[in-house]
Amino acid sequence: MKAPAPGPSGIETHGFLGEEFLTWLWFRWETDGGEFQLPGGRVVGVAIDDFLTFAAPSDDDTEQTLRHGLPTRTEEARTALRQGRRLRRARLIVAEGSRQWTVTVDGPSLQLSGAKLPEDAEETESDADRSADRVANWLALHEIVLALYGTFLRERLADGYLAAAGERQAQWMQE
Amino acid sequence: MANIRRSGGATAMFWQGKLPDPRDPQFATALQKQRFRTIEDAASEETAVGWISAGDPTGASFDHEDLEAGTATWLRFRVDKKQLPRKWLAIHRDAAEKARGKKLSARERREIKDDLTSKLLPRVLPTVQMVDALLFADRRTVLLLHTGKGMIEAFGRLFFQTFALPLERTDPLATGRRTGLDRSWQDRLERVEPVRWPRREGSRSARTLAGRAGTRAPTSDPEAEAVDA
Repeated sequence: MKAPAPGPSGIETHGFLGEEFLTWLWFRWETDGGEFQLPGGRVVGVAIDDFLTFAAPSDDDTEQTLRHGLPTRTEEARTALRQGRRLRRARLIVAEGSRQWTVTVDGPSLQLSGAKLPEDAEETESDADRSADRVANWLALHEIVLALYGTFLRERLADGYLAAAGERQAQWMQE
Repeated sequence: MANIRRSGGATAMFWQGKLPDPRDPQFATALQKQRFRTIEDAASEETAVGWISAGDPTGASFDHEDLEAGTATWLRFRVDKKQLPRKWLAIHRDAAEKARGKKLSARERREIKDDLTSKLLPRVLPTVQMVDALLFADRRTVLLLHTGKGMIEAFGRLFFQTFALPLERTDPLATGRRTGLDRSWQDRLERVEPVRWPRREGSRSARTLAGRAGTRAPTSDPEAEAVDA
């Protein structure tokens, strides 16, 4: 049995939106402290960690990767933002309560790589408990990214985005 | 019993339609039908893909407790590949060329390969990869704990062969449809165009770029909706 042939990939048609999402996370982190109130009363903190890749503006240009230290504070990063470049990949620190994840998000695919889940809970004694705990942490990470992306979309797709939130982000990118 | 990884990559995949309840025997039976079958003794280059369970890497059993992992159903599949070792092939070809004192013809090279294949492959052990996936039936979501293209495709094929349901990979459009947007917002999502952020430097200003608003752009190409800084 063969799976049906796929249509055009959402990576091809909407990959830019994942890149805008990562750039927006950076904007929100720098301007609002990176705390997000998510549906269901969830409160999470998000910060950009030590790895950034800026998307190539065109096929003739190159991606630019900054790693180690505080790449968001570098002149190269500010210059890329001033040139209107979006983040293609970024390593994030995500915190909720006492739990903390680090994860690299690929904008065009929204794939998660290099994730590190929170430490196993102290009360987990058996393999089965440990696995259930890790499942909960994988799911939480997926749901947080999904909810953050949903928050971004509600802002991005709203009427008047370009004149309001988009304009504020444009000002920040030009700083 | 092994543990689920605490680090690495994950690819979210989604399905629509009805999947057997993972608690029903029907679910384990479906896995059993597409179970992993060994190619250890195969005499040709082969790849085998099939389900196994966390408690049994052979694919012979799918006990309920091996599939249960908290809120998820713990799927595991195994990919074995048997290939003729390329270095051995090169060594034998070089030896044959030296013995003859000249380059081998294409036919002679093929004969050496066929001869080595029949001699060596039964003795070669396949490479083994085991990949986990966490299935959340209530969310119609599966998290494949791998990001490689080949593994994602192999998993998608195996899932379809098992449950007759195609999986949709995560991307900004597929994921956006699962964020609870209502119909009108989903329409906006379908049609949204990239923001063209203003450039402080460069030969073109944001205002002149705005004239191109509305065109569909490939990933990373700053197009369409322009913002004046």
